[in-house]
Amino acid sequence: MGILTLLLMLPLFGAALVAAMPSDSERAIRSIALVTGLLTLAIAWGLLLSFDVQLHGMQFAEIHRWNPRMGTSFALGVDGFSLPMVLLATLLSFVAILASGNIRQSTKIYYLLMLVLEAAMLGVFLAQDWALFYVFWELTLIPLFFLIDRWGGANRHGAALNFFLYTMGGSVFLLISLLVLFDIVPGHSFSMAEIAKVAAALPEQTQVLIFLGFLLGFGVKMPIFPIHGWLPLAHVEAPSPVSILLSGILLKMGSYGLIRATGTLPDGVSALQGVLIALALVSLIYGGLLAWRQSDLKAMIAYSSVSHMGVVLVGIAALNVAGLTGAVMQMVAHGLVAGALFLLIGLMYERTHTRNIDDYSSLVRVTPRFAVLTTLAFVAAVSLPGTVGFIAELHALIGGFQRWGWLVLLLSLGVMISAAYAIRTVGRLFTGPVSARMRHIPDLRGVEMVAASVLTAGIVLLGLFPAPALRLVSASVSHFSSVFGV
Amino acid sequence: MLHSLVWLIPLLPLLAAGWIGLSMVVGWQAGEPGERATARVAMVAVLMPLLLLLLLDISALFRAAPGQLVFGSWLASGDYRILISFTLDAFGLSMATLVALICLLTLAFSVDYMHREAGFQRFFMILSLFSAAMLLLVTAGNAVLAFIGWELAGVSSYLLIGYVYERKTAGANATRAFVTNKIGDTGFILGIALGFLWLGGVEWPQMATGSGEVEPLFNGLIGLGFLLAALVKSAQVPFTPWISRALEGPTPSSAVFYGSLMVHAGVFLVIRLEPLFAQVQALLILAGLLGLMTALYGWLVGLVQTDIKSALIFATIAQVGLMFLECGLGWFELAAWHLALHAAWRSYQFLHAPALLQLLSGPGPCAPAWLRRRTRLHAAAVQRFWLDAMADWLLLRPTHALAQDLQDFDQRVVTRMVGLPDQAGNLNSLARWEALRQGRGDVDTAVGHGRGMAGRLMEWLAKVLYWFEEHLVLQGAGEGLKRAIDLLGGYLKRIEELLGQPRYLLLLIMATFAVII
Repeated sequence: MGILTLLLMLPLFGAALVAAMPSDSERAIRSIALVTGLLTLAIAWGLLLSFDVQLHGMQFAEIHRWNPRMGTSFALGVDGFSLPMVLLATLLSFVAILASGNIRQSTKIYYLLMLVLEAAMLGVFLAQDWALFYVFWELTLIPLFFLIDRWGGANRHGAALNFFLYTMGGSVFLLISLLVLFDIVPGHSFSMAEIAKVAAALPEQTQVLIFLGFLLGFGVKMPIFPIHGWLPLAHVEAPSPVSILLSGILLKMGSYGLIRATGTLPDGVSALQGVLIALALVSLIYGGLLAWRQSDLKAMIAYSSVSHMGVVLVGIAALNVAGLTGAVMQMVAHGLVAGALFLLIGLMYERTHTRNIDDYSSLVRVTPRFAVLTTLAFVAAVSLPGTVGFIAELHALIGGFQRWGWLVLLLSLGVMISAAYAIRTVGRLFTGPVSARMRHIPDLRGVEMVAASVLTAGIVLLGLFPAPALRLVSASVSHFSSVFGV
Repeated sequence: MLHSLVWLIPLLPLLAAGWIGLSMVVGWQAGEPGERATARVAMVAVLMPLLLLLLLDISALFRAAPGQLVFGSWLASGDYRILISFTLDAFGLSMATLVALICLLTLAFSVDYMHREAGFQRFFMILSLFSAAMLLLVTAGNAVLAFIGWELAGVSSYLLIGYVYERKTAGANATRAFVTNKIGDTGFILGIALGFLWLGGVEWPQMATGSGEVEPLFNGLIGLGFLLAALVKSAQVPFTPWISRALEGPTPSSAVFYGSLMVHAGVFLVIRLEPLFAQVQALLILAGLLGLMTALYGWLVGLVQTDIKSALIFATIAQVGLMFLECGLGWFELAAWHLALHAAWRSYQFLHAPALLQLLSGPGPCAPAWLRRRTRLHAAAVQRFWLDAMADWLLLRPTHALAQDLQDFDQRVVTRMVGLPDQAGNLNSLARWEALRQGRGDVDTAVGHGRGMAGRLMEWLAKVLYWFEEHLVLQGAGEGLKRAIDLLGGYLKRIEELLGQPRYLLLLIMATFAVII
């Protein structure tokens, strides 16, 4: 059994263990989930030791024939695009499990679903076969649906159903595109490598049509304006740990899939470059402005995600080295930033039972640790230099500028809008007159502090020393963009 | 061996200033007990360079003076290189020795004079800083280093004029002197920039050789910049008034700044750039004329002064005016001698002035009879030829009025357009905060509310988009999809129920038969 299979199986094994436990031993269940998350994290980060950053191809590859008649295989592998996502996914899953201490209701099923969800997400990033990819892609829906539907807020049923319908709707187009590609390959195979070889030779018109299917499927997840309708509801209603995973990793699945699809259909993407940048810039500004208008903190972060994923799309659409590096870095950055924000706001909500920004004030005196970490996370959301967001946005900006010139000024406008709501929020939360209701809020405690500072430390460290992360992606990115002749 | 230590000459007093400053912050040498240590540090830091300079002097007597010494480059960008270099030719060496000596004497004098003053440490820190600045200015090997010394001297003079900062006049006079000096600094910077541009560098020797090879016009412009700087620093007409305001500082500082050292800095600069000025006759004539005017001005105004410090200062600028005249006539060497002797003599006089006041009693001297007979001239001399008022009228008031207009524009138009909180709110944030705490004052509680033009635009746009999101994206697509499915499900259930009833099942079977047949 290869190391990637081990990585994939470990959360499932943990889930099985959890299932075997009696449901009243909450402590033991939580410990199993934590240990599983930590082990998975350790194995994933252990990959870094033997990952060769000079190579652009798949590493640690494993292929087992699965269904020869269907042409599917159990193929796993990582490259410079997927490894950062795997690292991020394991980190955020661990943090989410760590932050689940306040889930009191049917903990057994909760942790079971969380571990299954982690396995499914890892599967999406590891899969080297479109059929396997699709299976894991759909598999994420099931635990998520139940997690939102059972442990969510007041309007959870509507949110869960809405989320499910939207994603399924997108998946239908994704599946159609995959089946078309499957049909075109001479030996009828779902292998990503083989499909890429054949698909690149297709006429441009066909490529465009197939890519549009991918765009719909992945765009829902990412999300791209105007198919982001599930996101505000789901993010607001989901319990905080699930929100962390939703915005931290689930959205990245969309952009990751889009990058893979881009590599498969180069001519189609080149033809649609203008559409992509337009969608990206509209998402960027649209999400920012709506975030600015929200008084619900979670809704604000949800809309800011739309805006930040717009930056990722700008990077992808640029199709050059700087742009793609920016896209991957922004995926990492947004994972860390949105994860940290949802975590902190969730913890705050548990204490104050309000998410309305107007109810807060002057928390810097009452809860200084909250104030520092939240401010750091918001500052990173504005991509201030010294945070990872800056590295990402700078690359995306350079990449976009090389391709479109002054049009990317709109990206800067988006950054300005994000500054408007981030600074306003920091000001509202932490400064101002002391409010009587907010006078006795406990500050972050041990475990919460660990979870939050891991994420903020990542934000600052990658902001100050981005070189290792950039090296990790550089080989894959430069090979990828060489296909597009830039 | 000695030559490699030259960089210590300006550095030691600077370090002393830094050390005294640090000990003031930390509180090591506070009050009277700390005076001894402070004074000792400051004096040793000037004594060491003085000894070093004397050794250099002796070796220069037997062999040649060190000349240009280069210790590396400070910054290099493209063709622009600024070296850390020192010029210790005969002139520079003797000037540096003189500066170190006078600084040391003044420090020694100040130990007793400033005893038990509240700002003893502060005074010694600034005096050390000034010593460093002057030593750097006279030993610098290029115009940029000299400018650093030039500016530091200006800053320390500002700090010493404002020494008694509790007094309002002290602050105002310090500011006035500093701002006037800035006029000269623009000239200096212009000179440096043009030197880089046309002469290829600002090392003194480079400027000397370079000036021989370029057009007289270029030389003239560079020289004009430096001459402006020199005229302002040496308080020549029409920039004289700042120096009488500068007497606000303690006596020892007046002695070094205006009696002996800083007032001569301008003359030093002109002599240092002798090769350049020698190329441009017009500038020399200008310098000479202004020098002559200053000499006359100083003499006339000095005649009617009633206090000793003012009398001395006007005598000083008259002498400095004569030096400019000498330079204008081409007698640079004479000017250098004049400078050295005058500096030594005048510092003695200034330091002696407080004691002299003790000795002399009775009314101050009055103007000579011939001057009193010419009432107009007398009035002009008493009023110091209205130079200060003229500067006020020509520069200060128009600037002030313009600034006022701009501020009005800013407050009434720009601030509103940009949407900044108004000035009154900003000025007194503590009071504002207090008002907020008590629930008064304006807090925009509404989220999504913008101020200013950009804010309003954003608000409007966000409103439109929000409507779109609410009605189309969330309700239309999300809820609508659910509703459609519910509706469809309802119909199907209905059909299912109907089919479940036997009569409809029969009907269906019959219909099937009918189709088959």
